[in-house]
Amino acid sequence: MIKITELQKFYRTEEVETVALNNLSIHVKAGEFVAVMGPSGCGKSTLLNIVGLLDDLDNGSYLFNSIEVAKFNERKRSDLRKHNIGFVFQSFNLIDELTVFENVELPLIYTKVPAAERKKRVEEVLEKVQIMHRRNHFPQQLSGGQQQRVAVARAVVNNPKLILADEPTGNLDSNNGNEVMQLLTELNEQGTTIVMVTHSEHDARYADRIIRMLDGQVLMETVG
Amino acid sequence: MIRNYFKTAWRNLKEHKFHTFVNISGLAFGLATAILLLLWVQHEKSYDRFHKDFSRIHRFTAHLDANTVWEGVPGPLAIYAQSLPEVEGIVRINEWNGQVLATEDRSTVLDGFTTAYVDSTFLSLFNFELLKSRPEQLFPDPYSIVLTESTAKKFFGDDDPLGKVLQFRGDNLTVTGLLHDFPDNSSLAFDAILPMAHYAQRFTADGGNGQWKTIDVDMGSYSFTTFVKLRDGAHPEVVGKKFTQLYKDARNGESTVQFNLQPLADMHLVSADGNNAAARMVQIFLLIAIMVLAIAAVNYINLTTARALVRAREVGIRKVVGASKVQLFLQFIVETALLFCFALLVAVGLIVVLLPLYNDIAGKQLHFSLSNMEIWKVIGYSALGTLLAAAIYPALLLSGFQPLQVMKGKMASGVGVTLLRKALVVFQFAISMVLIVATFVISRQMTYMRKLDLGYDKSYVFSVALPDDAVEHIEAVKNELRNHPGIVNVALSDMYDITNMGNATGDLEWPGKPVNSSLIIAQSSIDKDFIPTMGIQLLEGRNLTGTAADSNLYVVNEAAVREMGLTPPYVGTPISFHDRPGTIAGVVKDFNFKSLKEKISPLLFFHWYDGSMLYVRTTAAEASNAIKAVEQQYQKYAGDSPAPFKYNFVDQQFEAKYRTDQRAGLLFNIFAGIAIFISCLGLLGLSTYTVRQRVKEIGIRKVLGASVASIVQLLSAGSILLVVLAVVIASPIAWWVMNTWLDDFAFRIDIQWWMFVLAGGAALLIALLTVSWQAIRAAVANPVESLRDE
Ligand SMILES: Nc1ncnc2c1ncn2[C@@H]1O[C@H](COP(=O)(O)OP(=O)(O)OP(=O)(O)O)[C@@H](O)[C@H]1O
Ligand SMILES: [Mg+2]
Repeated sequence: MIKITELQKFYRTEEVETVALNNLSIHVKAGEFVAVMGPSGCGKSTLLNIVGLLDDLDNGSYLFNSIEVAKFNERKRSDLRKHNIGFVFQSFNLIDELTVFENVELPLIYTKVPAAERKKRVEEVLEKVQIMHRRNHFPQQLSGGQQQRVAVARAVVNNPKLILADEPTGNLDSNNGNEVMQLLTELNEQGTTIVMVTHSEHDARYADRIIRMLDGQVLMETVG
Repeated sequence: MIRNYFKTAWRNLKEHKFHTFVNISGLAFGLATAILLLLWVQHEKSYDRFHKDFSRIHRFTAHLDANTVWEGVPGPLAIYAQSLPEVEGIVRINEWNGQVLATEDRSTVLDGFTTAYVDSTFLSLFNFELLKSRPEQLFPDPYSIVLTESTAKKFFGDDDPLGKVLQFRGDNLTVTGLLHDFPDNSSLAFDAILPMAHYAQRFTADGGNGQWKTIDVDMGSYSFTTFVKLRDGAHPEVVGKKFTQLYKDARNGESTVQFNLQPLADMHLVSADGNNAAARMVQIFLLIAIMVLAIAAVNYINLTTARALVRAREVGIRKVVGASKVQLFLQFIVETALLFCFALLVAVGLIVVLLPLYNDIAGKQLHFSLSNMEIWKVIGYSALGTLLAAAIYPALLLSGFQPLQVMKGKMASGVGVTLLRKALVVFQFAISMVLIVATFVISRQMTYMRKLDLGYDKSYVFSVALPDDAVEHIEAVKNELRNHPGIVNVALSDMYDITNMGNATGDLEWPGKPVNSSLIIAQSSIDKDFIPTMGIQLLEGRNLTGTAADSNLYVVNEAAVREMGLTPPYVGTPISFHDRPGTIAGVVKDFNFKSLKEKISPLLFFHWYDGSMLYVRTTAAEASNAIKAVEQQYQKYAGDSPAPFKYNFVDQQFEAKYRTDQRAGLLFNIFAGIAIFISCLGLLGLSTYTVRQRVKEIGIRKVLGASVASIVQLLSAGSILLVVLAVVIASPIAWWVMNTWLDDFAFRIDIQWWMFVLAGGAALLIALLTVSWQAIRAAVANPVESLRDE
């Protein structure tokens, strides 16, 4: 599903040029659950953003479902993204002005799903993450774990083939963290490909494979 | 999708009440002000355009020389028209103000009517609405009169006026028609119209004008305002030239008068001599309206882009979950449009409430009715224009955010936006500054004019038009009045209004007069008491004597001797005035007998006949007694003269001349106030965001020991610098604009440096108060709270 070869990514500021990713190659098959680990600043988030088509790359090739997307413009990336990829962030990133229901509904609106269908699917997925009873609450009225469950619900409501999670448990205590990991595992079992960045060895053990990075390169891979 | 846009937009407006409130009030005030202004502009521009063929109708102007233009032309022009194929129709109008009408039994005698003798073509040229007319013809005979509804009501109440009889100048006239009142946007407006045949009859009966015995041949009286309707495709300049030539031929080539045609639609804003001050005023108001809208739009842009910092995260998330740029763009447009709808509602409310007050100040009768399409046009255009100006940039900016950057808290285009916002604040305050300076200059100029030494004493002098019989016995009347303790002095003159004397001639000869001289000199018949009564200063020679010798003595002003090119001593210079030889007996100091917008022009006093205007000087305490005494004399000689007693104080006549300017001044004050208010709303909103953005920084600084004052200073300094910059930019502009305005006045103040200091200071102070309010709130807040708030 994901085949990245010789990927390079630089950040240029006025004084320095940072090499965030240096000749990095990875391969993720459909249905895999991959965890990415490594010290702070090694380029994990940068990698995830590129995989998620949120960011562009400077050199190398990126085949997404056998399509070369390295040279895609913003509009094409956005199109591909909204139908295929769901995101879960460390800081939840829910919209404070919208209710739980509306937050989860958002991706369906942007993919022009009819209203009745939207309602059905949102309710289904809220049921699945066990937050249905809070559907009319606003994000600020929920606990961190609940908010992250909403974020996961939002990420999966469009039935994406790939979920990218950047430290999804980073802001949660272990109980809440485990619930979210449970949820991701279930999704993976139902066929969704997952790439997750984490600092937690414990969470990483939910994955099929662990990629360890250092200084913008893959250091080693362990298969669980 | 659209429903979702509206829902989100509504939610957003509701959530952020302060933002919404500031935005709506800024927009509403801006829209209301601009719409009021535009209604006025529209009304001014609508004058005389309701006639079906207005674009083909022109008014004659007579150009006697480069400086003298008359609105009246001689009667025979209407006869010449018959030989010109370009002319479809022509109408002469002879207008009289302050006329008296009475019922046949004189049970009702009313004064102050404006009447006009008109050719029978009047209603075929102009589209004034005739409600009723008894016979088929409007004027079946010379003794007909057609009234407007209001006039008819005054005499006959709700009775049918047709067939009733009114007395006018000693004649009994039958009412033969009823006109709808003249529209308030018509330059032609009368209370009654009479047949030109009536005037023609009188003219002939009174012996005509010298050799000319009928109005159709009298080439000497420029007493008819005349309109022609041209056929399609006719060129007004060409037609004007033809009339000029026909007139010249009729006078055997001895005429240099040129007749020009002025479009009917220009008549209201451009005077016959081409003075377009009124048209400029309309342009200025249009400009102010646009500026106010610009300020309001700028406000919206500023506030919205400032809040973009806060909303960037939302945009980022929406993009990550699949929103396209176009979708987000539309969402923000819908949000702005929704806000605009509310603002427009509030604005319409404001207009309805403020219109009476506005009418009062502007001296207008604007009606606001929502069924008036014209009003909707004005509202529609201003709202749409502002909406477009305000909505697009913020929507582009917001929808353009890159999700990655904004979610990391890094602004996509921080520098550019901030710079733009600063530029816009400078722009707003620069406009405000110009308006403040304008306010100062206008009010100073008004005060200056009121207090200006006119060269005579205008206080406690009133004038009365005497009946003929009183003029016959003028010595007795004057003696009688002089004995009254409340009367200081009385004098007789033919000057109807000393603050605006129109009577002038070129018929003056003096030794050494250049052949090509085009000197036009104001002329007035006075008696020996006039100069002392009015407090006019005699510089040289002597006053009139009150004896028969006066008939060849002339008194002139300084401007006259200067422009005639005489050399001192002036007294004794032989001159010939209207072919009457005489000498200059005295020279008076220049005094203002015309608008202060004009320089003092040459003037000549003579005494061959008695005028009928009595000028009476009284005192503050005795004024009412003096008026009574004059009225007694008036009634004594009134006989069956129909005109009721009427008096005018000179200083009030003077004030009336500048009422329009004063109104403009007052309106300026108000608009300047509103512009500043809206700008401040914008600044307030901006400073709120600046402060919000720096809450954490402020908290840390306070924990580290910063004082409240130092934090307020830190937060305010930026905005204040912008206002200072605005003041610097605006000052030369303000100077130029106001200097141009003052150039209209021959008697004017100079713009002083302190006006800029004061205006700048005012702008700064207001800005400082606005900004520091927010800054102080932030500075005194408990730092723990702001630090906890993550
Ligand atoms: N927008 C940016 N501009 C400049 N440098 C950046 C930018 N984003 C990331 N970097 C740099 O790129 C490198 C990789 O950053 P990245 O955020 O991918 O690290 P990470 O592995 O996710 O770290 P963490 O575990 O702390 O989240 C770092 O050295 C970082 O400083
Ligand atoms: Mg990271």
